[in-house]
Amino acid sequence: MSRRALRALLLLAGASVLLAVWAFPILWGLLTSLKTERDVLAYPPKLIFEPTLANYREVLFGSASILPNLWSSLVVTGITTILTMLLAVPAAYALARLDLPGKRSGGFYVLATQMLPPVGLIIPYFLVLQRVGWLDTYQGMIAIYLTFSLPFAIWLMVSYLEDVPREMEEAALLDRAGRIRTLLYVILPQVRGGIAVTTIFVFLNAWNEFLFAVVLGGNRVRTVNVAMFNFISVEQTLWARLAAAAMIAMAPVIILGLLAQRHIVKGLTVGAVKGGGRR
Amino acid sequence: MSAVGRVKLQGIVKRHGNVTALHGVDLEIAPGEFFALLGPSGSGKTTTLRILAGLENANEGRVHVDGADVTDVEPGERDVAMVFQSYALYPHMTVYDNIAFPLRMVGTAKSAIDSAVREAAAKVRIDHLLARRPGQLSGGQQQRCALARAIVRKPRLFLLDEPLSNLDAKLRLETRVELRKLQRSLDVTTVYVTHDQEEAMTIADRMAIFMEGRIVQVGTPDEVYARPASVDVAGFIGNPPMNLLPGRIAADRLHIGDHMVALGRDLGAEREVTVGLRPAALRAGPTGLPAKIDLIEHLGDTKLVICRAGESMVKMRVDKAASFRDGDDIRIGFDPGEIHLFERQSGRRL
Repeated sequence: MSRRALRALLLLAGASVLLAVWAFPILWGLLTSLKTERDVLAYPPKLIFEPTLANYREVLFGSASILPNLWSSLVVTGITTILTMLLAVPAAYALARLDLPGKRSGGFYVLATQMLPPVGLIIPYFLVLQRVGWLDTYQGMIAIYLTFSLPFAIWLMVSYLEDVPREMEEAALLDRAGRIRTLLYVILPQVRGGIAVTTIFVFLNAWNEFLFAVVLGGNRVRTVNVAMFNFISVEQTLWARLAAAAMIAMAPVIILGLLAQRHIVKGLTVGAVKGGGRR
Repeated sequence: MSAVGRVKLQGIVKRHGNVTALHGVDLEIAPGEFFALLGPSGSGKTTTLRILAGLENANEGRVHVDGADVTDVEPGERDVAMVFQSYALYPHMTVYDNIAFPLRMVGTAKSAIDSAVREAAAKVRIDHLLARRPGQLSGGQQQRCALARAIVRKPRLFLLDEPLSNLDAKLRLETRVELRKLQRSLDVTTVYVTHDQEEAMTIADRMAIFMEGRIVQVGTPDEVYARPASVDVAGFIGNPPMNLLPGRIAADRLHIGDHMVALGRDLGAEREVTVGLRPAALRAGPTGLPAKIDLIEHLGDTKLVICRAGESMVKMRVDKAASFRDGDDIRIGFDPGEIHLFERQSGRRL
């Protein structure tokens, strides 16, 4: 065997192992979601079993339907994402471009909020929401979600916006576009990849958030993650239903991910190489 | 000559933190003039252009265009168009949309935009590329696209920041000529930043030479070439630039090493000077400055003889037929009228 072929083979083997590590929990979850509760608990685990969609039927349309929770998740995540992007893009543009006093310290503060462990914020957030009467409400959840999604989005968008050559903006200013139209017609079209990536990450973070959702929401606003948690109880854990709910909850994220796969990979390497993250 | 596009800069000072980029620049540019801002990098020429465009604010001084003080006017309101060194084309738009952009921003009617875009594109010969995006154009075509975008709205001032520096040598020479013709046909005041003295000499009606944040000389290419105002200018203009040798004058006599030249005019008390001699003004002869040939560069129609005279290197441009060999001892002759003299200390022309 030539060295080349050997190398390819080894790479393939290595990649397979890594992929297996990544794919195993998801495959396991998928299989579990198709089993009966009895099959789930069988030992040794059954690899050959009669698949059933009963769990999906149950979690979607049964007594403990997660459809309202999916809706709650969608509302919280959707509005959080939209508000975040509407605020983060102009803020990031200002941080990337304008000579503002305190820009540096402001930029650091934006990042510093990301360094706090969320659990340390739970109690203050709880008290604040309680005081304004926003506990277990959409507006309360969205407000809290904005506290972590905004800094993250701003920080990510700044690096994209800094990659747009300043001269291009100056050309637009000389062409009488003015600041707003320069941003809309010249700058934003060039960072649309960055906007896509940021939107997806913000959506992901909000969609998968559990800690705040379970403490600050829970009854009227119960996101799908919290609802899934309820399949685990003291007496029993409904593994198959939990798995089915998880598969359903994963779907929007996976669809978004597939739509923007190209952008995500580029987004992850932003800043690694000068101009490497552009478009 | 056009009636608009008169520029006046008064006492422009620009500081970046502790660094002063411009120490009080005064400049007047006449309508329709092709004016070059020439200087080495970091001399303040681009900063001056950007202040004129309104992209940067001066710390002190005023900018006037056509008699109106535009110092505090936004760049978009100054009616100036600029071609950037990087061209700064909008990569997500087609060539057509790039050229149309400045017209769309002022709400020009669609039909008027279309004819203006086609006319501008035809002027710079990219009318067959209108559907492409900047990324699909060659460097020269991108440059033309940037030019078209600048001329399409018929500005009163046309600013060019090193527009040719990203082109290869041959294209640069061609574009230089075309740029000059284009400017003539548009009859619009043009301010052109370059670090290439040859470019400025060939293209400009007049030029200002920048050194370390100051204008050291303003004049036509001929004036600057014939009478450089300082040693710095002398060492910058010409290809190759002037030879600069240490010398000493006393009354009407100039001493370069042991060699003595009669100047034919009395320059007063004895002092140290720098002697400037154009390579093309030198010739080998029976008398003159003794020198030894180090190297001969063949330039096609001429030769450049590089020799050593005392401590100094002297370049002499001679006919290609002249027969010299490396290591020859020669004597370099020149007319007293070809001598440029500069004060040793200040560098000022005597």
